[in-house]
Amino acid sequence: MAAVRETVESVDQVAGEKYKYGFTTDIESERAPIGLSEDTIRFISAKKEEPEWMLEWRLEAYRRWLTMEEPKWAKVSYPPIDFQDAYYYAAPKQRAKLESLDEVDPKLLETYKKLGIPLVEQQILAGVAVDAVFDSVSVATTFKAKLAEVGVIFCPFSEAVREHPELVKKYLGSVVPSSDNFYATLNSAVFSDGSFVYIPPGVRCPMELSTYFRINEKQTGQFERTLIIADKGAYVSYLEGCTAPQRDENQLHAAVVELIALDDAEIKYSTVQNWFPGDENGKGGIYNFVTKRGDCRGARSKISWTQVETGSAVTWKYPSCILRGEESRGEFYSIAISNNYQQVDSGTKMIHLGRNSSSRIISKGIAAGFSSNAYRGLVSVHKKAENVRNFTQCDSLLIGSKCSAHTVPYIESKNPTAILEHEATTSKISDEQLFYCRQRGVPAEEAVALIVNGFCRDVLQQLPMEFAVEAQKLVGISLEGSVG
Amino acid sequence: MTDAARNFVETYERERDALPGAGLAWLAARRADALRAFADAGLPHRRLEDWRYTDLARALDKATLSPASQPSGVVELPDAAERPSIAVFHGIDRHVAIFVNGRLQSDLVAELPHGVTLVQLAEALGEPWARPLVETKVATQAGNVIALNTALMRDGLGLHVARGVKLDKPLHLIFLANDDGASHMRVLVRLEEGAEATIFETHVDAGARSYFVDLVTDVSLARGAMLDHVKIQDESAEAIHLASLTAELGAAAKLSSFSLTLGAKLSRNQSFITFKGEGGEAHVNGATALAGSQHGDHFCYVDHAVPHCSSSTLFKTVLDGASTGVFQGNVMVRPDAQKTDGRQMSNALLLSRDASMNAKPELEIYADDVQCAHGSTIGELNRDAIFFLRARGIDEHTARQLLISAFLDEAFETVSSGAARDDLRALAAGWFERHQEKTS
Repeated sequence: MAAVRETVESVDQVAGEKYKYGFTTDIESERAPIGLSEDTIRFISAKKEEPEWMLEWRLEAYRRWLTMEEPKWAKVSYPPIDFQDAYYYAAPKQRAKLESLDEVDPKLLETYKKLGIPLVEQQILAGVAVDAVFDSVSVATTFKAKLAEVGVIFCPFSEAVREHPELVKKYLGSVVPSSDNFYATLNSAVFSDGSFVYIPPGVRCPMELSTYFRINEKQTGQFERTLIIADKGAYVSYLEGCTAPQRDENQLHAAVVELIALDDAEIKYSTVQNWFPGDENGKGGIYNFVTKRGDCRGARSKISWTQVETGSAVTWKYPSCILRGEESRGEFYSIAISNNYQQVDSGTKMIHLGRNSSSRIISKGIAAGFSSNAYRGLVSVHKKAENVRNFTQCDSLLIGSKCSAHTVPYIESKNPTAILEHEATTSKISDEQLFYCRQRGVPAEEAVALIVNGFCRDVLQQLPMEFAVEAQKLVGISLEGSVG
Repeated sequence: MTDAARNFVETYERERDALPGAGLAWLAARRADALRAFADAGLPHRRLEDWRYTDLARALDKATLSPASQPSGVVELPDAAERPSIAVFHGIDRHVAIFVNGRLQSDLVAELPHGVTLVQLAEALGEPWARPLVETKVATQAGNVIALNTALMRDGLGLHVARGVKLDKPLHLIFLANDDGASHMRVLVRLEEGAEATIFETHVDAGARSYFVDLVTDVSLARGAMLDHVKIQDESAEAIHLASLTAELGAAAKLSSFSLTLGAKLSRNQSFITFKGEGGEAHVNGATALAGSQHGDHFCYVDHAVPHCSSSTLFKTVLDGASTGVFQGNVMVRPDAQKTDGRQMSNALLLSRDASMNAKPELEIYADDVQCAHGSTIGELNRDAIFFLRARGIDEHTARQLLISAFLDEAFETVSSGAARDDLRALAAGWFERHQEKTS
């Protein structure tokens, strides 16, 4: 069919599209010595001026990590990682403690501008507080005053360790224990910084909280640690977005995100991930091994994960919910787009422990080029979880004959009152739909974009307004590189 | 190596010269290779992804492991009123072959249409069409356990149907056990171009309690050949039942396989379907009804290696007591297997508080122009539906039975023979009756 042929041609034309955000900023950074040892960890801890208990926690994790093996079960392949050939700490040089944005390194600000994140504008126009993480240290935190008014704590993780040790001690590692898995344990040992959020009881956070992660320093693993606590009846919407400069070497990223929702609390966590996926020959790109887990600890609590994944060479990521509280609810909405030689193994886990808990999983995978896109998910109902309800839908769209899509759901029920439904489809863009659009004068490129956007709509709708625009742009950019 | 695995290796060392086809060099080498592979891997356990929910190694370690003995004297059949499975398919005009403790005990059918060969395993292994069947390779981990059977297969059958010939009546294989122990059987089926056959299979205990059945059926269908396979497994409540079906389908060949699982303490049905020619069609379906502490596992791997083939899988599971059901399915669509149509569905009903179900319907797709879908549901009987029936004067027991029958019926509908379908329905209804009496 002509429309299809043209689409394929236009795909070929734009397949060489370069990574738009590929550039490097020349900023001096302070580094830990190369490699990983107890000394590296002491160095990091000392740099962060951490208390003794924090250092002990790290060292314990490190010792455990030494006994662990890298997981091999995911449908991804990559050359072995030499963990001794990476820098575990790099901080942009600071002149002094910063009071306002004016004091931020102008080079940094320039970088954000290129990324399309004008901090100043965001402050005024969007009402978004940005805790910008450049490499590993948070350098600018905005809207602090406004948040402080309602008692919300939103600060770099290292600051939280110093200023709010009781909260950190109480919740750190309570969702993702330091012994959880290979990468989470590694993170526990060497995490450099991240965000800490605490919403006090009954408070609805007055703005969307947002962090932009950025990997900059060559050969530097990025080990973020995020901890978000919504106390009883609190609500927070948190946005995480990423772009990274183009590089030849593979970079390791192993973040840990822990969410805790107490009684009646709600956390909405949205991610747009657009790290360098490697070039069209599969060279370079980020390795993204992330552990994200939310704990619906309280009754009627709710945690919702929304993710738009377009980047990274290798993605290994399963944002999960432990539905412990009665009537708690977990949601997972995901778009994963892979192109060229990208490999994605992503999905979620919904672990139902509480009565009347419910969950919903909507996953849309789009594979193009030579990429591999896998959904791997677990829905598990424990014996005492009465009247659990789950609905799972995971659809895959294949663009081109060299890519692959996989669906690996695990569905386990130990309680008869649970009602679990799972459905999945895999197909390509229908010729009829394309033909219909073409017949009405819609160019092939636009038609494909239209259809793919329609395919993703259920998930895009879940994104907060501030993010939706960027997400749609990102989907567009990824499609440029794949279909037109 | 576990005790059970070591026991199997010793059995091989002791008996290899007495096993059928001992004079065939290729077979001796094949058996030796298989034993080595088995000795290296051991019995499958839950750390293997394909065996995630079923621990055969553990189950066998607790079981009796000496080889099942040659039956002597008259084999007493269980009362059909108590074990209706023994009488299933009786109303259908069919050929019958009876195995007891893994050994053929009946005379083989003498009058067969011209072009149909039905021989005992020892003889079949000498036929030129048998070797490729025994050497069928399976592309997934779950197939490794077939090596145990290859090394130890002691008896079985070979069925060969020549080009364009149709087996006049269904061939009914009845497998009985009257002695505790392990039996390893192999059935080889080769249908040449355009040939057709129907095979029924029944597994029932006849006096034995704790035994191990290891059956491998290798099927090869040439262009346009058609095989209909209906199996009933109603082993003793302490038996372990392992059945593997490998099937290679040539162009436009059609396989339809159905299994009803009622018995055994632990059962595992594995199907490995490979399309070798375009236009093939495979249906692998089943119904399972378990109670007590039974464990039933269905594993189904469909390999779409060529374009234009279609496959469908439907498994219905009813679980009472503290039973556990497992469905692990995988539809593999290889690169270039365009225009594949792959469907997979697993539905489970949990009737009691202690029953549990695990499902893992997997899709692995390397071609773009395909239609693949799978679904899985787990739940209990719809309370509104029970209420609806009760409001119309139907007692709860009958209401439940009606709903369960309706649930299983969707699977029975896939059986093409009407008479066989009726027998299956009656068996399932009987299971419910017997079972509800026990619990009430």
